[in-house]
Amino acid sequence: MPKAQIGNEMRKLRFEHDEMTQQELAERVGCTRQTIILLEQGRYVPSLSLAFRISRVFGQTVEDVFRFDEE
Amino acid sequence: MDVLWLVLAGLGFAALVVGLRRFISGFKPASIGERLPATPLQRLGVAGLWVTSLVSLGLVMLLILNGAEGVFDNDVPRYLFWLFLLVGMAAWFTVWRSVSRATGRAVVDERDRDILARSFTVESLIVILSLVAWVIGLTEAYRDQGAVPLDYLQLLFWSTFILGAFGRSLGIVLGYHREPAPDA
Repeated sequence: MPKAQIGNEMRKLRFEHDEMTQQELAERVGCTRQTIILLEQGRYVPSLSLAFRISRVFGQTVEDVFRFDEE
Repeated sequence: MDVLWLVLAGLGFAALVVGLRRFISGFKPASIGERLPATPLQRLGVAGLWVTSLVSLGLVMLLILNGAEGVFDNDVPRYLFWLFLLVGMAAWFTVWRSVSRATGRAVVDERDRDILARSFTVESLIVILSLVAWVIGLTEAYRDQGAVPLDYLQLLFWSTFILGAFGRSLGIVLGYHREPAPDA
């Protein structure tokens, strides 16, 4: 089975939303800032529920925020 | 002679605290580019390591100086034994309160919950190893007498209790130190 990674546009979207801070985003979706940092670095794969909450904060669909990178 | 023992015990205690400090500070979470801020659960894990380690060191020194049975047969060492346990629990509660206050509503997210669940493996491993050591040690030491002194029941229970808390804290700290798997 080929290796795959979940990439995302979170950092870009944060800056497009009045330069939202990582802490602010963390508080709005109910997770820690450490999790947001790891998500932006592509080092943590969120649950479906967290992915939906993040997408809703940015007013986007999950597929607009997260992408499936297959190697 | 007693003074020499106390000085040696004090020096040993100081050396163990320094060693412990180095050991615990080695578990900083790995980060790429930016330093990761500690989560409330992670701070509690580090505090738990400190509290359980210091209480264990205090109790071990008390046992070395008085002997296992001497601790419970004499008033002063026995009160000191209870004092170490109560101070340890009070310290843990104080840290927990201050972490909760410092972070407002303490957030424990899905990643924290995953780490907390995995930390049970470390806790149970340490507790099982401790019980195995106790059973083998007591059986071999008191096989000829056919009975084990009651004081060892106290030591068995409290050591398991403290090691369980230590193991849970270690599991949490190790969980944050481990590189999270980015593969989908």
